[in-house]
Amino acid sequence: MFELSTDVGNLKELREGDFSAYDALYLGDFSCPDYPNNFSSHPELLEAGLEIVKSRGQKAYLRLYAVPGNDDLGWVEDLIDTALELPFDALEVHNLGVLRMLNEKNCRLPVHLGVFGNLYTHETAKVLKNYGVTRVYPNPELSLAEVRYIAEHADVEVLVPVHGKIPLVISETCFILEHSGDGEEEGGQCGDGSCSYQCTQEHWLKRGRGDGSRADWSLKDTGRMTLSGKDLCMLEHATTLAGMGLAHFYVHNKGEAPGYAAAVGSIYREALTRAFAGAPGADPASALVTLTALAREGLCNGYYFEGAGQRYIGRA
Amino acid sequence: MPKLLAPAGSLEMARAAVDEGADIIYVGPLGFSRRPYESEMSDDAIREAAAYATARGAELRVVLNTYPTPYDFGRFLDKALQYAADGASGFIVTDVGLLRALRREIPGTVLHVSIGSGISNLEDAAFYRDAGADVIILPYRWDVAEIEALRRASDIGLETFLFETVQTGKLCPGKCIMSSYLRFRDWLAVEGSRDFHGSANRGAKECYRVCQANWEFGVPGELPVELKLRRDARLMLAQLPGFVAAGVTCFKLSGRERPVGMIRDLVRFYRKAIDEVVGGAHSLDHHAEELAELRLRWVREKSKRVDTLMDRAASYVA
Repeated sequence: MFELSTDVGNLKELREGDFSAYDALYLGDFSCPDYPNNFSSHPELLEAGLEIVKSRGQKAYLRLYAVPGNDDLGWVEDLIDTALELPFDALEVHNLGVLRMLNEKNCRLPVHLGVFGNLYTHETAKVLKNYGVTRVYPNPELSLAEVRYIAEHADVEVLVPVHGKIPLVISETCFILEHSGDGEEEGGQCGDGSCSYQCTQEHWLKRGRGDGSRADWSLKDTGRMTLSGKDLCMLEHATTLAGMGLAHFYVHNKGEAPGYAAAVGSIYREALTRAFAGAPGADPASALVTLTALAREGLCNGYYFEGAGQRYIGRA
Repeated sequence: MPKLLAPAGSLEMARAAVDEGADIIYVGPLGFSRRPYESEMSDDAIREAAAYATARGAELRVVLNTYPTPYDFGRFLDKALQYAADGASGFIVTDVGLLRALRREIPGTVLHVSIGSGISNLEDAAFYRDAGADVIILPYRWDVAEIEALRRASDIGLETFLFETVQTGKLCPGKCIMSSYLRFRDWLAVEGSRDFHGSANRGAKECYRVCQANWEFGVPGELPVELKLRRDARLMLAQLPGFVAAGVTCFKLSGRERPVGMIRDLVRFYRKAIDEVVGGAHSLDHHAEELAELRLRWVREKSKRVDTLMDRAASYVA
């Protein structure tokens, strides 16, 4: 009927977290190879992770590093070689060079194009299908109507994020580490072994008058990624999503506290189940209170309704 | 022989760049090239610029480096066919689907992959070569060794901005949608009637240079530090001989939005420098003083522009 998925960075989070609301898990943090015991950079952990996911009756997709430089291609290839020997349900790529590597290896697994794959058009989706891509995550700037257009005109699955902070920027180096001194880039250099995982603390970028007006801007920073300050929330639009023929939904979990994925997932599981069954939507008030409490800077609808990413439009 | 690729944000700038020795000028059609309309050109002006350039032995590339909306894809192709008929010798593009389509529809044209594609490794270069690209823009972070490695691995043309390499900070090209998260604005009449909402990546809506503005950064409850998200790129000079030796075929000067006088001076300066390197010079240190003055002008103009853009962003309705 529909698939609901989220992401899990490493074995510890997978073991300790409650992901029962989800049909599928994207394993690994595609933004930072140094993230502790990241599935995306630790081939020796893949089998154990896969075993847990499969034992729970879920699908497992492996995320590959999104912005590999030339020095990264070797270890990314090692990870791919290990993954291709295991029963993953798909691999997720963001980098077109890595996609080409998979194609050269005659990759037998379905390939998903990730958020930083810059997918804006059905014509690009058609090209990428020739490289084994079966699912695409259209750039978050696209409206829901454009997302559906791509799905229909390229005959490809589209991943539709329904909740969580939107990835806005990815970089090859860690902004937190670079500024871990006194703000004058006196910190360590990314990749030099000096990482002390300060990203376990929340970091925010802020600009404006600090009065809560529309001139105030907040962004969350995870070191190698900058995320929307607000949490994308499509709870009030579950019926619309079901009515559009979209079927693969996703909750962004990167950088969130333990318990976030479980709380959000159960709310969306219920709402989407009702929507797909054709049942009238339940009063979202109570769920919105929960979701708002989890969102430090509030909720937004991203770009789905053809506005700037920070807007929120309720069902009414 | 490496080429000098110069900006033409207006007809006047196009003429100045050609007059000062640019091998190629690049222009952006209104609403299709990631710049505000003041730095883009009408189709008539593009036609005139192409005629001016070709009559003097130079070439003109058209920048179609915004990402099309799925609905608008056909319009990109139609415009490209018209520009090719009007004398454009090539295009600078970002969307893989558009790249493929242009290669199919205009087989003899020269296709550059824009910085907005976010290339980061040798395999990316191979992907774009397979897709029909003739030239790729090199990542800001690459050094000579990486350029040489790519030269050995591929016959694709190598283009680099005339900026020094940058190793830290957030480098946005191809991997950033911060501007549109913060603010959209409506299309202007001069940009044409379009049936989707634009953004920095999709045309008409300029990038607000969010990364170059000042932000407060830190952990909640602690005193934040004030910083920019990236360092300003500095105009390149000392690296030129090494880059030419490594096989860079095209040096790109940024700045369609800059004053014409500045672009005129920069084209003249880099024409001289590239010619010296091609003539055998291994050092350009004797130009250091002139470069320092140009860098100062560059930074002064840039900071003015960043403030203006962020003020504009704050004033738009969400």
